[in-house]
Amino acid sequence: MKSAVWRDARVYLKYIRMHFLSGLEYKGWWMMALQVLLVCVADFLPSFLIFARMGDIGAWTWERILLIYALAVASFGLAESFCRGFDYFPWHMLRSGNFDRLLLRPRSLAVQVAGSFFHIHRLARAAIGIFAAVWALSRLGVPATAFSVGVIGLALLGGTLVYSGVFVLCSGIAFFTIKALDWIYILTNASYQVTRIPIDYMPGLFRRAFTFLMPMLVISYYPAAVVCGWGEPVAAGFLALPAGAAFLGLSLLVWKLGVRHYQSTGS
Amino acid sequence: MGKGKGMGVAMDRTRKFSLFVCSARACIGLFRIRSIESLQYRAAALSSGSISVFWALIEITVYTVFYRYAAHREAATLTLAQMVSYIWLGQTLVPLHPLSIDDELLAKINSGDVGVELCRPLDLYFHWFAKSAAGRVGRFWWRALITLGIGLLMPGPLRLGAPVSAAGLIMFLVSVASTFLLSAAYGMLVTAVRLGITWGDGPTYMMMLVGGVLSGGYLPLPLWPDFMQGFLYVQPFAGYLDLPVRFYVGAIPPGRAAATIALQLGWTLLFVCAGRLVMRGRLRGVIIQGG
Repeated sequence: MKSAVWRDARVYLKYIRMHFLSGLEYKGWWMMALQVLLVCVADFLPSFLIFARMGDIGAWTWERILLIYALAVASFGLAESFCRGFDYFPWHMLRSGNFDRLLLRPRSLAVQVAGSFFHIHRLARAAIGIFAAVWALSRLGVPATAFSVGVIGLALLGGTLVYSGVFVLCSGIAFFTIKALDWIYILTNASYQVTRIPIDYMPGLFRRAFTFLMPMLVISYYPAAVVCGWGEPVAAGFLALPAGAAFLGLSLLVWKLGVRHYQSTGS
Repeated sequence: MGKGKGMGVAMDRTRKFSLFVCSARACIGLFRIRSIESLQYRAAALSSGSISVFWALIEITVYTVFYRYAAHREAATLTLAQMVSYIWLGQTLVPLHPLSIDDELLAKINSGDVGVELCRPLDLYFHWFAKSAAGRVGRFWWRALITLGIGLLMPGPLRLGAPVSAAGLIMFLVSVASTFLLSAAYGMLVTAVRLGITWGDGPTYMMMLVGGVLSGGYLPLPLWPDFMQGFLYVQPFAGYLDLPVRFYVGAIPPGRAAATIALQLGWTLLFVCAGRLVMRGRLRGVIIQGG
């Protein structure tokens, strides 16, 4: 059993290394990284500009919003980097019929799919997310203690699992319907837009949906609140990892159901 | 010699003219086929319409919080009701904007099928213009219907308001038609730039991002810093979203209406010329391989 896990990990790392090296062959890869960077900056620009025009909302400054937002973006970027295969799966694996080839190989399916794509430029989103979070923490005067580093680290880890879970879920649903998958965007790029609303003013529906259905606030707001001392219970800051693992686990169940349902595509 | 040359020029002109008429007719046909084709995907439209609605609700919540509780509430430029309408209409118009190169055309560029396209007796620029514009407009109808419908059905403070006046509504519709042309023209300029590039989408995505940000789709342009307002009005991408929506909510003085539409059309013309120029340059360097 242990050797099987080890073998899968090696396959995955080999895939990633291969994609990384082949990605470097394109002389324009850094342009794509720059473009992703600009997208991230442009995404936050509205929040910055409106705070600049209309001022703070009670205790809510733009640094606070940036911290929560950046934690979610960094997690999304990490998941997008290391689980890109699932992100691409419905269109580039399932519809094209390439998935059949994976079924023939004597290795874990999930690992093969996860490693089937990797794009260097997606790391830019993770990098700028982490950078922005660290910067916001320093602006908010949070010292780099073992506690704060630990909470933020666990938040990123849990967040990566949550967003990987979204990609896996989407791939699982793709076995049943491939045309109407756009709504999944609400759980990916659109999900962290919710963090632009100060949590005290967030409508209950958003708050509950992104805590209990898809734990996006558990991996962004609660760790940030615990580290900065905004009056949330300390235990809530440590929920990111278990919540992420649970969400990914449930998504993998949907995925397994989909694989069982699969009857090959193409001619 | 001189006479022959004159005749040649005349024949050339008639041939060019008949080619132009044929091209125009073929392009209209292509436009119809492709837009009807993309109208079929109703489930996909429902799915993508849900994104517009979700996005609009987040934006409306953010601006409502700022309008009600921010320290400098008086710094707001539009009223909250105008802002809510701005968001709904903006989300409706976003699918018209070129945020990525048309899938079919990009596939042709990447696979080298441009060679096949060049064999057709059609002007490549207008051929692709018709196709990409049709692809976008086909997807736009359903999604727009869903977004507007839900916007109108929302409860009180979240509802898309009525237009400021009948004239405002008419100017809004005229302006949206110009938006459609402007978006298609800029999309074609980006596609032309992409023609010769084999190593990635970085520059073209950046070009399109600039358009998206300056359109008002990220943050309504009236909320941008005051010192930028003059620039924001004359730059081309206000025509994507901001200008038509301003007509609807009554944030453009009536005296400026004609100038505003002229501005949109002027930029469109400029983008068409630039796109054709770039495309001609790119095609000169194109190398067809294989057989």
